[in-house]
Amino acid sequence: MGTYLLLDVGSTFTKGLIVDTDEVKILGHAQAPTTAQTDIVEGIEAVKAKLADVIAAHPLTATRLCSSAKGGLKMIAVGLVPDLTLKAATLACTSAGAKLVGTYSFTLSEREVEAIESAQCDVLLLAGGTDGGNQEVIIANAKALSRLTPRFPIIYAGNKSAADVAVPILRQHGFTVSVSDNVMPTTGVLQVDSAREAIRAVFLDTIVKAKGLSSVASVIENVVYPTPSSVLDALSLLANGTPNQPGWGDLMAVDIGGATTDVYTMHQRLPVSDNAMVRGLPDPLIKRTVEGDLGVRFNAASVIDHLSRVESVDQGLSDYAHSLALHPHQAANPDFDVRLAGACARLAAQRHAGRLESAYTPMGRIDLQVGKDLRPLKTVIGIGGPLIHAKDVQEILSQVRYNPAQPEILLPVDPHYALDKHYVISGLGLLAKSHPDAVLTLLKQTVEELTHDQS
Amino acid sequence: MEKTTVVIGVIGADVHAVGNRIIDYALTQAGFNVVNLGVMVSQKEFVDAVIETNAKAIFVSSLYGHGELDCRGMGDLLKEAGLEKVLLYAGGNLVVGKTDFEPVEEAFKAMGFDRVYPPGTDINQGIADLKADLAALG
Repeated sequence: MGTYLLLDVGSTFTKGLIVDTDEVKILGHAQAPTTAQTDIVEGIEAVKAKLADVIAAHPLTATRLCSSAKGGLKMIAVGLVPDLTLKAATLACTSAGAKLVGTYSFTLSEREVEAIESAQCDVLLLAGGTDGGNQEVIIANAKALSRLTPRFPIIYAGNKSAADVAVPILRQHGFTVSVSDNVMPTTGVLQVDSAREAIRAVFLDTIVKAKGLSSVASVIENVVYPTPSSVLDALSLLANGTPNQPGWGDLMAVDIGGATTDVYTMHQRLPVSDNAMVRGLPDPLIKRTVEGDLGVRFNAASVIDHLSRVESVDQGLSDYAHSLALHPHQAANPDFDVRLAGACARLAAQRHAGRLESAYTPMGRIDLQVGKDLRPLKTVIGIGGPLIHAKDVQEILSQVRYNPAQPEILLPVDPHYALDKHYVISGLGLLAKSHPDAVLTLLKQTVEELTHDQS
Repeated sequence: MEKTTVVIGVIGADVHAVGNRIIDYALTQAGFNVVNLGVMVSQKEFVDAVIETNAKAIFVSSLYGHGELDCRGMGDLLKEAGLEKVLLYAGGNLVVGKTDFEPVEEAFKAMGFDRVYPPGTDINQGIADLKADLAALG
């Protein structure tokens, strides 16, 4: 219990939040621009200076931090079959807040091993084989990886029966290896929680140093998460509630940034549409997707590129987007910004949502569902600077709605919208595990529901 | 000793689930580790599951008469994946109508199937054959 300073570093702004968990109160929040990628400490100091009065009046119990510094947590996933253990491995990585810089299946070739060597990855997740299943490939891949310079930690999340052979090979060659549960213990069963925890643990132990955060390590408690991971914790709590108070139920969140757009969905059980048969690997209940080609500044041109494939884009918007990519800090055009952010939201949500396909069989028509059916979802939350400062948030968020012209894309039919107006979700996520009731109360108070008449 | 894994499923657009459950039950009772892919399983899904689970045999069911079409090329797909040693069995109502079974069996064997069963076969027959074939493989 006490007073916590919660910091979110690594994006355009360093954000700080001071929370009193006894009084269940946000005592203050501030943000400071982060000028260069290396100036993390500077950003933190600037935020603390802005909050100096609050800190003077309420001595801090601890400081916790989430970071997306230096491009966030970059991971490589290695699996066996692309649609099975490799897919499970990639889902484990993204749901731990990582950005994938490479995915590899089957036995690694010499060429692939070289690519892994030259990729700037922070952590590698090694999967392959169900428990008791294929052992040869993951052992061969461990041998292949053991020839590399051990610059990154490895998480072994594959066939448990091969762990006693594969893990010592890597350790003997100087790799730090943590062993988690298999991401796919049996065919078609996804089990990513243990791997996710292992990723977080190595993030704290090894990544913090590599990301130039060691100078702030002395002031922070042992809670350091990748920012998306902290967001996931907060959203999961907001959706599911605690034993003492209910949450908002199943929900979706869209986090739009300058370079990427993240989509989160939280479900208590897998949503399956009536009479549909689920095909493929089921989506995890807590799902995050990250779109590295959709963003309202650095990737504005790429957004236009995608948009122009499905609709005609007027020249003004196109010119604006292309100039943004070159000069991201130029004077903003609020109307164009709404359209760019709306396009990011729509495209990212479409990629995240499940699909329904009809198949005609001798027994009649059958609906096949791949991924999550989001149509019954009632809440969509907007996160991120481009939404907070937007001229019309509701217009942007409403782009994620189900489109009757594309009935196969299972997006929310009639949701209401909410906004993380004061930028508290990523910070509060850092307290979600230790102070769930206080955090849930604060989330419900500060994540503002947008009323329908605003539209 | 570890249990031998068998991948089972109903191939193609076929949704007949009852026999699938019986096969699952019978194989499990007989001491096998069963990976049941359910109904409407594609050839690729069978092959993927065999790779991940290191299965020694596949039981393909088909009851809606399109079995021959659905199974075409499956033996080749297994060979391509380096799984030519995996036992491949098929059973159910493999073709439409009251065709003589012999040409059906011949066609399936030509497609790479090790054993082919006519409608109404007792699953215990398949299990006995599986044990014998596994023993022969060593």
